Amino acid sequence: MKCRLCSRETKNESKYCELHDKAYANIAKKFEMWKKASGVSWEEYLNELVKNPFTGVWAKEVAEQLLKEKE
Amino acid sequence: MEKYTLIVTEKPDAAQRIAEALDVKGKPRKVEEKGVPYFMANRDQPLVVVPALGHLYTVVHERGGRNYYPVFNFRWAPRHLAEKGAKQIRMWIEVFSRLATDATGFVDACDYDIEGSLIGYSILKYACQDKDDVAKRMKYSTLTKAELEKAYDEPLPKLDYSLIEAGRTRHEVDWLYGVNISRALTLAANRWSGKYATLSTGRVQGPTLRFLVARERAIHTYVPTPYWSLLTQVEIQGKTYEVDHEKKTIETKTEADTIIENCRGKKGTIEKIEEKRFQLSPPIPFDLGALQSEAYSLFGYTPRRTGGIAERLYLSALISYPRTSSQKLPPAINYKAILSGLSRDRNYSPLTSELLRTEELKPREGAKEDPAHPAVYPTGNLPERVLDESERRVWDLIVRRFMAVFGEPALKQSMRATININGHHFYLRGRRILKEGWTRFYKPYIRSEEVTLPPIKEGETVQLKQITREDKFTKPPPRYNPASLLKRMEEESIGTKATRADIIETLYSRKYITEERIVVTDLGFDIIEVLRKHAPNVISVELTRQLEQRMDKIQNNSEKRENVLYEAVNQLKPVLDRLKQSESTIGEALSNAIKRARMQERIVGDCPSCGTGKLMILYSRRTKKRFIGCTNYFKNSCKTSFPLPQRGTVKPIGRPCKGCGWPMIFVRSKGRRPWNLCFNPSCPAKEERRKRLEMQALQQRNQK
Repeated sequence: MKCRLCSRETKNESKYCELHDKAYANIAKKFEMWKKASGVSWEEYLNELVKNPFTGVWAKEVAEQLLKEKE
Repeated sequence: MEKYTLIVTEKPDAAQRIAEALDVKGKPRKVEEKGVPYFMANRDQPLVVVPALGHLYTVVHERGGRNYYPVFNFRWAPRHLAEKGAKQIRMWIEVFSRLATDATGFVDACDYDIEGSLIGYSILKYACQDKDDVAKRMKYSTLTKAELEKAYDEPLPKLDYSLIEAGRTRHEVDWLYGVNISRALTLAANRWSGKYATLSTGRVQGPTLRFLVARERAIHTYVPTPYWSLLTQVEIQGKTYEVDHEKKTIETKTEADTIIENCRGKKGTIEKIEEKRFQLSPPIPFDLGALQSEAYSLFGYTPRRTGGIAERLYLSALISYPRTSSQKLPPAINYKAILSGLSRDRNYSPLTSELLRTEELKPREGAKEDPAHPAVYPTGNLPERVLDESERRVWDLIVRRFMAVFGEPALKQSMRATININGHHFYLRGRRILKEGWTRFYKPYIRSEEVTLPPIKEGETVQLKQITREDKFTKPPPRYNPASLLKRMEEESIGTKATRADIIETLYSRKYITEERIVVTDLGFDIIEVLRKHAPNVISVELTRQLEQRMDKIQNNSEKRENVLYEAVNQLKPVLDRLKQSESTIGEALSNAIKRARMQERIVGDCPSCGTGKLMILYSRRTKKRFIGCTNYFKNSCKTSFPLPQRGTVKPIGRPCKGCGWPMIFVRSKGRRPWNLCFNPSCPAKEERRKRLEMQALQQRNQK
């Protein structure tokens, strides 16, 4: 199966390729820290990541995809 | 012709210096034969000093043919038989062979290291017909007259075979890896797509690219974390000072706001004033890596550029042999003589005379040693020619570093006043230099700013002037630059001091990486991805390091060339089998990567009309003519297109036009000077130029 965000193959039933999967894992891991630090919701958090200049390209792509799925 | 001794040197510049140093009158006769210059000198006997052009021989496949692997049979052959651009090498070998027939003695005077020893050996062995057995070896670290004379008068009785063996092995192992893996990748892509593109990797190149890919992945998957800090100012005796909160990073916004709330409008008390004195030891002498690193951070020179500059300074007898990993300066180099020599330059004389007045000159040294050469040092000679800006800078850096290592430690004092504002602690910091020590010699390459504190006392009250919150985010790991990558390679013990900078350049030329703050291209990513899946050993840092260590052992006579080659072949065989088995999968992945890379190269910039598409160099199917078009054309949503010159080559330059901000392209065609073209038909710069030309034409007509 192809990754939802690029043409790479996915691994182990994941929606994403290995690289976007790693980005997704980082997003999920950091949410608790963000929530504790500034009390943001999941959606606000994703929006912040999309805007933030330090967010990696693949992490940004995953955040955008997650926001789209929510819509 | 009278009988003579043939002296083999590495390069024409070195040959000239050696001939001038050894000739009794200092004026050797320059002869040119078939375009090859050499020098005839007289000393105790006639000498013929002949330069090489670096390596004249290289490793080649035993039999021809490029489209198969594995290949494990190799031999050493003249470079012109193996490399397209090395035709002139034939003449050099012919001249060496002819001069060898009448020579009665042979001396190898190439640089004393792995590469130099191998260059000298292969010329004496192959071009001079097995004269390696009878040749003597000159060993020197500078091209100064005194040292060259000593090296000639007291040569090593035979060639340095341990260095030669280490060099041969390194070239052979690199060839085995490079040829086999590169052929496996190239052929896989070629057989899949039917198109040819050279894909290469090497024994050290692969692991190096792997570091970069790992960093790139960390940057691309990075998720920042918020944190806060406080910008605080206090007023003391009518002057404003910045102070730091005791917590440099505050983890929650609430905590930051609470501190601000607690402190705003309050006065503070100076609770404690602490002073600390500390010594700053002098730096250690430059090895090549440290010199390259320092030159990058001070002047922005890439490691390869610095290597080239240092080589030129060495050939001008201004510095010692730069390809060294030593951080030691033995007394035998004669510190006083060098400093006295440098004192003839008025920029250095006040500093050198200060050092020369000291009772004992003792350098601070590092731990690393190199059996062949000391650390990089100035010879004490002053330039005989005008140095260009970059040479002057690097020479000055080496001179000042040399002086600095003899300096005394610098003494600094740091002060910290703790201010209590409503239970929160803030620090007011100051620093000053008590004794300059070695830093005096290393100016302007060391900066030490002083921050003077006002005369304050414990218990004194201060007024809080401002306290604000700063919203911050953690940053992704920094990108490597050529200098930090070189440092990483050194730390991981992969590659050698002579090859690391070139390996980095190869990664650029293969288009696996771009930009100064290194960005890995899609092609670079995919190469590593393929190797990680199908040949992980080839990019294993651990295995590469182990092989390096075994090759180093050859240099110390504790390992044999045959064993290392045998192990390299045994490591490669299963890797190549696996690559062959997965050829079509690898071919598909690499072909797609090449296709993406080629498409990327044709992208000129963002489309100014639709804003979402990209402008690309395209070819018309009907007319076969090239033009610039928008990628959204294929989605039927943008028909923007611009004509392009049909002759020569065009490529995007990645820089916007100064007149209109549109992307520009670079055009090179035969018989014309290359030029940068803005393809915006209504670019204001074009309009201005047109008006200017019209005005000029009008003026000319009026004058007539």
